[in-house]
Amino acid sequence: MWRLVREALAVTAKDLKAEFRTRVALNSLGLFALTTLAAVSYTIGPYRLHEDDRPFLLSTLLWIVLFFASMAGLDRSFVKEEESHTAPLLRLSAAPHAVWLGKLLYNVVLLAMLMTVLVPLYGVLMGFRPQLMVSFVAILALGGFALAATTTIVAAIISRAMTRGALFSVLSLPLLLPLLIFVIQGTTGSVTGDTETVSNALRAVASFGGIMTVVSALLFPAVWND
Amino acid sequence: MKIGDILKWILLVWMVAVIVASFFYVHPAEGFIGESSRIVFFHVPTAWVSVLAFLISCITSVMYLRRRDPIDDVRASVSAGLGLLFCFLATVTGAVFARIMWNAYWNWDPRQTSITILLLIYAAYFALRGAIADPERRATLSAVYAILAFVTVPFLVFVVPRIYWSLHPDTIINTRGANEFDSRYTQVLMASLAGFTGLFVWLYTVGSRVEAIRLRRRQEVL
Amino acid sequence: MSDLLGLALVTLIIWVGLFAYVYRVDRKVRRLEES
Repeated sequence: MWRLVREALAVTAKDLKAEFRTRVALNSLGLFALTTLAAVSYTIGPYRLHEDDRPFLLSTLLWIVLFFASMAGLDRSFVKEEESHTAPLLRLSAAPHAVWLGKLLYNVVLLAMLMTVLVPLYGVLMGFRPQLMVSFVAILALGGFALAATTTIVAAIISRAMTRGALFSVLSLPLLLPLLIFVIQGTTGSVTGDTETVSNALRAVASFGGIMTVVSALLFPAVWND
Repeated sequence: MKIGDILKWILLVWMVAVIVASFFYVHPAEGFIGESSRIVFFHVPTAWVSVLAFLISCITSVMYLRRRDPIDDVRASVSAGLGLLFCFLATVTGAVFARIMWNAYWNWDPRQTSITILLLIYAAYFALRGAIADPERRATLSAVYAILAFVTVPFLVFVVPRIYWSLHPDTIINTRGANEFDSRYTQVLMASLAGFTGLFVWLYTVGSRVEAIRLRRRQEVL
Repeated sequence: MSDLLGLALVTLIIWVGLFAYVYRVDRKVRRLEES
């Protein structure tokens, strides 16, 4: 088992190293998120929303920015392999589950980096301040992980198809919509201080992420070894 | 006459009876505006069938990944196609119902949201199939997606509606509790469910046989 | 009351029409399978 983890971490390290050389995914993620944030902040800002609506609307906008930024950048992990024709070599050198885990961790790292920059900025520009900070961070972490898990398997699927770009969003978003509902509810709860909503949402997000991870781990070999 | 034919004629008569009963045998239910409770006899079964079709699609997809028999892929896509059709019908009947009850065709309440997501998943499945030329790869990848997508269905059906307040009458799912509906209503609803399920089974078998013939013809040519 | 009758008739016509169509397809498929 440790061999699997070591192989996976090697895959992650390779992807991250390659990514830092060209920064394609980071640029896509980052610029998309920052541009959208600028647009939202410019049009709405911290003052234009009615006090009652703020928790829900601000939570919604935050997650929409994160989700759509993910659509812009999280398919790179597999598409890059197919485009640069390094996929066959990867198939030979690592076990399928190691590849899957490695790519999943890669997406998690990218998303974590995006969140670290975006969320504080969002807080400053939009006047977004959750009362239950720990819960909010938990939602970011679990929601981000579930997002990464789902996008990883979908990225693997579409990398083997023809029209890749739009297909990634078309396939991912329907699967992610339930998750979007959960994280928005949870984030709203953490802003208003509603612990019951937050714990319900956290449970839903955790089970969604857990099930997605297990199922995609089981299905990945079928996609990869085709 | 073969038993298959007999069953089909029974289905015809059964559904005629259900239609007549839903308009003339049943009294309008309490808590519903006007005659709108009659729509439920068509709306609930179509929603149920669309989930059933999705389940069949998921199961045949698992079977395809196990034994790589093209007929399983045929079954998965036929079932998904029917599921898409019934999902669309469920959405439309639901919107008509929503217009009568709450004066708006669409209000994104959790159940309307869930059925839309289901519709999007079906559409995405066919978008994926359309994007792959090689038949075996198409079968494999769409099988994976069908299974992955079905995993979200329990969340759509059970978790999403619970997580926040819904305009949807809760008794729609709890008809076995039947405290708001009289026995006639429940009888006809159950009969309609059975009828629609029978219709789905028939459409599914006919569709699968058509596609199987097409598959066989193509293989004979090669 | 006559509205209801109208709706019922339309539904019945749709159902019988659909049944007839699928039955025809079924028969054709059966003929193709036996050949």
